Amino acid sequence: MDGLARGGFASDHGRAAMKTRLVGGRYLTRLLQLVLGTVFVVAGGLKVANPAQFAVAVGHYRLLPPGLVNLVALTLPGVEVLAGGLLLAGIWRRAAGLVIAGLTVLFFGAIVSALARGLNIECGCFGTVHGGRIGWESLGLDATLFGLSAWLFGRLKNDSAG
Amino acid sequence: MSADKTGKPAMKKLAWQALVIVLFGAGLGLAANLISPCGIPVVVRPTAGAPEKYLPLEQAAQWWRQGGALFLDAREPADFAAGHIGNALNLPAQSFAEHFWELAPLLTPDAVIVIYCDGSECELSGLLARRLREQGQTRVHVLFNGWTAWRAAGLPVTMGGRP
Repeated sequence: MDGLARGGFASDHGRAAMKTRLVGGRYLTRLLQLVLGTVFVVAGGLKVANPAQFAVAVGHYRLLPPGLVNLVALTLPGVEVLAGGLLLAGIWRRAAGLVIAGLTVLFFGAIVSALARGLNIECGCFGTVHGGRIGWESLGLDATLFGLSAWLFGRLKNDSAG
Repeated sequence: MSADKTGKPAMKKLAWQALVIVLFGAGLGLAANLISPCGIPVVVRPTAGAPEKYLPLEQAAQWWRQGGALFLDAREPADFAAGHIGNALNLPAQSFAEHFWELAPLLTPDAVIVIYCDGSECELSGLLARRLREQGQTRVHVLFNGWTAWRAAGLPVTMGGRP
C-alpha cells in the first residue's frame, strides 16, 4: 500500500528548492496515471462488456489454439481494467505501470506478427468501438502507450514511490 | 532513499505485485463473464467449428466458364476495386449486414456461391461463408487463396470498383 502512504514531498534537505520541481513532477506523474489508467479501464471495460466480439477479434490473430481463445479474451480485459484502475486509484502504481507496459509489448508483438503474416484484421484494441484494422495507426497508438507507461514507471522509480 | 527501492527486495516485491495484478485481474475477468448476461464459454470445444473444405481452383474455373456460380469477393471495397475475379460481386465480410441486402435478390436458396479473398491466412472468406450459411445458403464454397491463385492461373479478372 505504499501508493497510499506516498504523496508528500521529499522530506529532508533542500525542501524549498525542490518544492517547485516536485509539485510540477507530481502533477505530471498524476497526469500520466490518469491518462494510462483511463485508457486501460475503458479499453478493458469495452471488451468485458462484449466478450463474444472480443473473442472473435482475438481469434483472428491466429496466435492461440482455438480452445484457448475465449480464456484469453476473458482474462485479458480483467487485467487491463484492474491495472488501469490501480493507476487511477494510486495503489501499487509501479506494479500496475509494469503490467500495462507488459500488455503494450504483448499487443505490439501480436500486431506485428499478424501484419507479418499478411492478416488484414480488426485490431480489437478497444473492443469494437475503435473498429480500425491493424496497421501503422494501431502500432503507433500501442507504442505511445508503451512509452507513457515506461515514462511513468521511470518517474515512480525516481521518486522512489510504490 | 531510492537505494532500498531499487534493490533486490524491492524488485521482488514489484514482481509479486505485478503477478497479483495479472492473476487477480484474470480472475476478475472470468468472474465478470460468469455474471454477465452476454457471457461466453471459457473453453471452446475444438469441434465447435468444423474446418472449411476448400473448393479446388479447377472446379471454380469450370463453374466460372459455365456461368452457373455467383462469385463473391469477401474483401473490402478498396481491395475489390483494385482488381477482382471477372464478374465477381463485392460482399465485404467485415460489413456484411450493411451490404447483404444489396445482393439479397441474387441469393436464391439454391444459388451456387464461390467466396474468395486473398492470401492463405485470409479470414474473410470463412467469415462470409459462415454468415451466408447462417442466412440459409447451403451451396457456399470457399476458394482458398482465391485472388492470388486465380491471377496466377491467368484466369479472367476485372478492374474497377462496385457499380
